[in-house]
Amino acid sequence: MYKDKWPGLLFISPFFLLFAVFGLIPMLFSFYLAFFSWNGLGPMTFTGIENFRLVLEDALFWKSLSNTFIIGVMGTLPQLIIGIFLAYALNSTLIRFRNVFRVAVFIPYVTSIVAVAVIFGVLFSNQTHGLVNSILIGLGYDAVSFTTSEWGAKIAISLMIFWRWIGYNTLIYLAGMQSIPKELYEAAKMDGASIWSELRYVVIPMLKPFIIFTVFTATIGALQVFTEPLVFLGRSLREEGITIVAYLYRDAFMNNFFGTASATAVMLFILIMVITCVNLLLTNQIGRSKWKGGPK
Amino acid sequence: MAKKAFGLALASTLLLAACGGGGTEDASGDDRVELTFWLFGTTKYEELAEVYMEENPGVKINIQEGDNTDHHNNLFTALSTGSGAPDLALVEINEIERYRDAQDRFINLYDYGAEELKGHYLDWVWETAENRDGDFLFGLPTDIGPTAMFYRTDVFEEAGLPTDPEEVSATIQTWDDYTEMANTIYEKTGTIVTDSPELVYNALRDQAKEHYFNENEELIVENNAAIREAYDRTVELIENGVVGSLELWTPEWGGAMDTGDYATLLGPAWMIAVIQGNAPNAAGNWSIADMPEGAGNWGGSFVTIPAETDHPEEAYDFVKWLLSPENQLQSFVDAGLFPSAPAVYEEEAFINHTDEYFNGLNTAAVFGKAAQQVESVYKGRNYMLVQEEILTALDNVNSNGADPDAEWDAAMKRINDRLQRG
Amino acid sequence: MEGGTKVKKTQSFGKIMLYVTLIIASLLAVFPFYWMFVMATNPSHLINQTPPVVIPGTELVRNFQNVMANVDFFGAFKNSFIVSISVTIGTLFLCSLAGFAFAKLDFPWKKFWFAAILVTMMVPPQLGLIPQYFIITELGWLSDLRAVIVPGLINAFGIFWMRQYIKDSIPDALIEAGKIDGCSTFRMYWNVVVPAIAPAFATLGIIVFMNVWNDFLWPLVVLQDSASHTLQVALRSLNDSYVNDYGMIMSGTLWATAPLIAIFLLFNRFFINSLTQGAVKG
Repeated sequence: MYKDKWPGLLFISPFFLLFAVFGLIPMLFSFYLAFFSWNGLGPMTFTGIENFRLVLEDALFWKSLSNTFIIGVMGTLPQLIIGIFLAYALNSTLIRFRNVFRVAVFIPYVTSIVAVAVIFGVLFSNQTHGLVNSILIGLGYDAVSFTTSEWGAKIAISLMIFWRWIGYNTLIYLAGMQSIPKELYEAAKMDGASIWSELRYVVIPMLKPFIIFTVFTATIGALQVFTEPLVFLGRSLREEGITIVAYLYRDAFMNNFFGTASATAVMLFILIMVITCVNLLLTNQIGRSKWKGGPK
Repeated sequence: MAKKAFGLALASTLLLAACGGGGTEDASGDDRVELTFWLFGTTKYEELAEVYMEENPGVKINIQEGDNTDHHNNLFTALSTGSGAPDLALVEINEIERYRDAQDRFINLYDYGAEELKGHYLDWVWETAENRDGDFLFGLPTDIGPTAMFYRTDVFEEAGLPTDPEEVSATIQTWDDYTEMANTIYEKTGTIVTDSPELVYNALRDQAKEHYFNENEELIVENNAAIREAYDRTVELIENGVVGSLELWTPEWGGAMDTGDYATLLGPAWMIAVIQGNAPNAAGNWSIADMPEGAGNWGGSFVTIPAETDHPEEAYDFVKWLLSPENQLQSFVDAGLFPSAPAVYEEEAFINHTDEYFNGLNTAAVFGKAAQQVESVYKGRNYMLVQEEILTALDNVNSNGADPDAEWDAAMKRINDRLQRG
Repeated sequence: MEGGTKVKKTQSFGKIMLYVTLIIASLLAVFPFYWMFVMATNPSHLINQTPPVVIPGTELVRNFQNVMANVDFFGAFKNSFIVSISVTIGTLFLCSLAGFAFAKLDFPWKKFWFAAILVTMMVPPQLGLIPQYFIITELGWLSDLRAVIVPGLINAFGIFWMRQYIKDSIPDALIEAGKIDGCSTFRMYWNVVVPAIAPAFATLGIIVFMNVWNDFLWPLVVLQDSASHTLQVALRSLNDSYVNDYGMIMSGTLWATAPLIAIFLLFNRFFINSLTQGAVKG
């Protein structure tokens, strides 16, 4: 039966060996810790499911959960849609200087988080003379205190995520488009297809594996958003913008409550599994009924 | 044994491990005792270490500097796993609280004769470095941070207030005076009195004898009238519209220091370097007067010796030398670290120290006076947790116009909830 | 013929739209980078003032001299380069090998192993810090670049990516043909698969290189000795939070970022070629 048994197993073994050492052990440790109370230095005390109760009863936990979803949808979903258009434009033979544009679109992804933090801190300053606030005032709106307002914080963090990761997703779609056989584009052109219909009937269906890939990774990424709120909100990690990983980070590394932090991690893990499965089922439907063109 | 098998399994699968040699192992083969010393902030201890190495050829001091937060996080990780800690580590005064229950991770300096040094340092600082029973000493004190009121002479002048430090100290003696001054400045010039709620609240808080926890680690903040009063006073200033919303350590905060967007900065001695660094164009516009109703302490550190060290004797000898009164004077001259050894306060070079940036003010005298007013306060392991929640409440009042009483109650509830996790 | 002009018209309208989209996107993307340059060329107090400066200044050299005075920039640069290049090459090799196995080979429990790889991505990594640190100290890798390189080779995304790519871009018939010729599985991977997936290598290579180059949370913890610092860790120590010398910080950041753009341009050439050939025909 399994003709390629040994090569196949051999080829995948490095990942699992490395993961066993550097991934699995730490993971098991945090699952174990979820049932203990531990401050990182003193003894561990077994507390059963007490940590889970404490977290589930905490209003901030639920708040961070809803923040994560809102920021995930606002920061990630537009990336996936706009990324396809950008990749299409960057891939189009109609465009000159494609290389210049590619570099430009990709630059945010290259920039380190230190620079991003400073730049967004200045853009979304709470002060009335901050750049975004100046624009708001110019348009006749009131200035917003971005780090302390419900939507201000979420919008600023979402934009930061969008700005930083759009280049990454565009790059993946671009690579995907390179794998679409040229004949398909030509066939579409012969049929007199507009850009829109070319996108809809040729590009998107052919990109499906790549769309699944990005949806999968973006969903996990969105549920694990951490660095952006941390650098934008600073130490305070206020409730307007705290995400679930930031919540567990604060518990573990600022307050040294490793037990509840681990319990949060366990629950997040389960949540990611459930959401990813649902997501994969839904994404599988993309382009299913639309596929008309292409070679017969 | 297990470790070996583990390593072997890895080595056989890792194709690239061999390329990764960072070459950091000490292959030099010299038989000097090497002491690794972790530092943060600007201490100029590297210069003193050079001197020490010249005097003691058998010792090599390897200094590693990091950002304040990173430094303490890395130290915590190393101490938590029991490996990777240095021979010497600087620990900030508030950070030392989380190690109180973990004294097995440090060398007890009393075992090396630190008792004899006790008289050299301010009592309250020394006590902070001891455990609750007073028989364990975590570290020797470096500097302290007695607080005072930095103020903008140009803003004061515009508002028709005195600008001479002595006159200012005499005029603004109480918090009522401070509030009145704030209102006057706001009316006459439109300038706010302080950057954010945090520093005013901290200054008020530091005048309380007890803060958030008592020495039995019981939460007392809810019934501590002094803390509630500090909160209410800060709220009063907020409601008068004289408190800004500049978060500490941000570029905006530094910039506003330069342009004079706020009239006073309530801070410790080491803030001198911060102001000079952030506001190079405002030389002559900043001066220093006494803190209304008495000074508190903010900051300062201890040099500790983590228990993992192989050379506790040598490490102790170096610390003892580094933090001796003579060298504390040197650190004061080099880096503005305010000495924790009172003997220094008598020294010529200290007494006559003036600062051109502050119009030739004798800064040593101002902070020397403040240092005498400071008393030891028990902070407790979860001090920062309580502090953060109270500041969140104040920020909500300041930025979002929330109801102060409701915010206080909500903060107390959050504090109680979170403390259940430890 | 009529159809032809219609196509032309819609195409030229589309073309304008494409240009507009790209120009707007590029400006938005580049603006913050431009700002970084502005900060790197100005003295700190001009950056801190309100409103901040918006045109490049004259302090480019001096700010960088400040960086050099505070950290060993080129030493850290070298470390970053060693780490990034090792992890990139290692990851490309291991991920394409595993991706090939999942896409084209047949072995027991294949679906289970693949699902397991996906599940590993779902673990929030932040909490693993303390046990991971412990493992590194047990291996004796503190302040050793291996502490960053070896765990960096675990890349579930990469395997997933390679599998997706190889599955669609290499016809099964080719693999079958290779088998009939008696090609060993590894030779097949090396001679058939590797040459055919250059664009996938280029993309994953860029992504991995950027991630490793810019990573700092983990290196910060395990690379304690300053001789082993990577660029991000070294730059981090410029960040004395008390005084904000943003001119200096941004100068360091700018020079740490510049090589990444060069790398991007370099890799970008690989996968641009496949399409420019088509462009001649179209």
